[in-house]
Amino acid sequence: MTKFIVRRIFWTIPVILLVILLTFGLMRQIKGNPFRTSERAIPEQIQRNLERKFGLNEPWYIQYWRYVKGVATFDLGPSLVLRNRDVNDIVRAHFPRSLELGGLAFLFALALGIPLGAVSALKANTPLDYGAMFFSNVGYAIPSFLVATLLIYFVVLEWQLPFPTSGWNDWESKVLPVIALGLGPAAAFARLVRGTMLETLQQDYIRTAKAKGLRWRRVIALHVLRNSLIPVVTAAGPTLGFLITGSFVIEQIFAIPGIGRYYVTAVTARDYSVVMGLTVLLSVIVIVANMIVDILYGILDPRTRDARA
Amino acid sequence: MVADPAQTKGKHVGATGVDIDSGDGVAAAAGGPVRQSNLWKDAWRRYIRNRAAVTAGVIFLLVLLFVVVWPIVSPYDPNAAPNYELKNEGPSLRHPFGTDNFGRDLMTRTAVGGRVSIGIGFAATLAILLVGVAYGAVSGFVGGKLDNAMMRLLDTLYGLPYLPFAIIVLAIFGTVNIWTMVIALSIASWFTSARIVRGQVITLKENDYVRAARAVGARWFRVLGRHLLPNTLGVLIIAIFLELPGVILGEAFLSFIGLGISPPNASWGQMAQEGRAVYRVAPHIIAVPSIAIATLILCANFIADGLRDALDPRTRET
Repeated sequence: MTKFIVRRIFWTIPVILLVILLTFGLMRQIKGNPFRTSERAIPEQIQRNLERKFGLNEPWYIQYWRYVKGVATFDLGPSLVLRNRDVNDIVRAHFPRSLELGGLAFLFALALGIPLGAVSALKANTPLDYGAMFFSNVGYAIPSFLVATLLIYFVVLEWQLPFPTSGWNDWESKVLPVIALGLGPAAAFARLVRGTMLETLQQDYIRTAKAKGLRWRRVIALHVLRNSLIPVVTAAGPTLGFLITGSFVIEQIFAIPGIGRYYVTAVTARDYSVVMGLTVLLSVIVIVANMIVDILYGILDPRTRDARA
Repeated sequence: MVADPAQTKGKHVGATGVDIDSGDGVAAAAGGPVRQSNLWKDAWRRYIRNRAAVTAGVIFLLVLLFVVVWPIVSPYDPNAAPNYELKNEGPSLRHPFGTDNFGRDLMTRTAVGGRVSIGIGFAATLAILLVGVAYGAVSGFVGGKLDNAMMRLLDTLYGLPYLPFAIIVLAIFGTVNIWTMVIALSIASWFTSARIVRGQVITLKENDYVRAARAVGARWFRVLGRHLLPNTLGVLIIAIFLELPGVILGEAFLSFIGLGISPPNASWGQMAQEGRAVYRVAPHIIAVPSIAIATLILCANFIADGLRDALDPRTRET
C-alpha cells in the first residue's frame, strides 16, 4: 500500500513539471507583449529595462527554471500589466470565491445527484425512475448559461424572489450561481449512481445478504450504497475539471470576481504571467486532486492497486 | 463522465456482450468478409431495437438536415443589415424562432450558426480521435515500460480543464476561425479517447488471430494496421458521440465568454452571448441556441448509449 502511494506521488512530480513546461512553451508562442502595444509605444531603452526587470531577456531554459523554482515555493511571479501586484496577490484575492463556488456546487451536486440516482435504481423502470432519468438527462445536456439565465429570469424577474443576480457576498447571492454550476454534475452523478447501483444489486453478495435474512434497508445502506459510491469518488477528478470550466461562464454571468472571470480579463489584457500562473495553478489542482482520488480509490478498492501500482 | 452506464438494462447488456464475443471467435475461424457483415448487421439490428437511440438518431439527422438545407431555402439573410423595427420579436409564423436584437431571423441564424457549431464539433472530435488513436495504439501495442509511462501520464492529466488551454491556443493564433477553434478545442481533450483506444488494442492483442498473424511472420505495421486498428472501429464510432457533446459545449462556452466565434458570424455559443445581453426583454434569443445545443447533446448521449449496447457492450469508460 505504502509503495503504491509513494509511486503515485512520485509520478505526479514529473507530470507537473511537464505541464508547466508545456504551458510555458505555449505562452512563449503568443505574439506581442504587454509593454509594446501600438497604443502606447515606449522608448527602446525602457523596453529593454522592463524586459530585464522581468527576466525576459534571458534564454528560455533559465526563465523556465526560475519559474519552476517559483512555483515550488508558491511564488507565481509578478503581473506584467498591473505594476506592484503579483500573481499571488491576484490568486489570494480571487481564488477563495472560486473555491467556495466550486465547493458548494460540488456539495449541491452530491446532495442532489446521489439520492436521485439511488431512488431511480431502487425503483428501476417505474415512473419515478423515468422522471428522475429524464431530469438528469436534460440537466446534463442543458448548457449552464441557459440554466443560469432561466434561474434569473424566473426566480428573480417573474417570481420576484429576493435573490441578487450578481456578486458574491451574503448567502442569498450564492444560491443561484451554485445551482447553475452544480446542476450538470448533479445530473452526471445521478446517472452514474443509478448505473453502478443497478449493477451492484445483481451481485451475489447482495443475494446472500438478502438470503440470510438481513433487512432490506440494511442491505441497501450497508452493501449496495457503499459499493456504489466508489465510482463517484473516481468521478471527482473530471468533475473538478467540469466545475473549473463551468466557473468561467457562471462567474461571468453572475459577475462574481473569481479566478474564471479574472482569467478572461487577463487574456484580453495580455497579462501573460497572470494567464500562465492561473493555468499552472488550475492544472496543479486537478493533477493533485487526481492523485488523491487514485490513492483513495486504491484504499477503497484494493483490487485496483496491483493493476495500477 | 458522459459514458456512465445510464441506460443500463443490466441483463440485456450482459447477454449481447457474450453474443459479440462468441461471434468474434467463431468468425475468426470461419474467415473474414462474412464475419464483418454479420457483426455490423447484428449491431444494426440491436440498435434498431433500442427505441430511445433510434429516436435520438432520427432527431440528430433532422437537425443536421436543417442546418445544411435551411440556409439555402430560407428567404432571410442571416447577417442582414439591422432592422430595428423587427427587433426582439417573439416566435411567429413569419419568424418561427423569433428575431434577434438586430431584427434578423433567428431560425436562419440558428441554421447558419449550427453549421459552424456542428462543423467545429465534428472536426474537433475527429482531431481528438486521431491523436487518441495514435497515442493509444502506440501505448497499447508497444506495451511494457513505455505503455506504463504513457498511461501514468494520462492518469495524471485526466480531467485537466480544457478551457484555459483552449484560450491560450486561440491567443497564440491571434485569430479565431473554424480551424483555430478546432485546434484549441482538441489540444487538451484527447486523454479519454487515447485511453479507450489503448484498452481496446490491449484486449485485441491477446486474440488468437493476432498471434497467428505474428506467427506467420506479419510485421508490426501489418498487425497494427490490418488486425488491430480496424477492430477498434466500433469503439471509435461510439467515441465520436461521446466526445461530440464536450466539444460542442466547449465552442459554446468559448464564444459565450467572448473569446470564440465573433459577430457578425453566428455560432450557437455566439448567439447565446448576444441573447444574454437582452434576456430581460427577449429571453427567447438565448433560449433558441441553447435548446439547439441541448438537443444535440441529448441526442448524442442517447446515440452513444445505443451504439454501445449494439457494438460493444463491454466498453465502459472507467
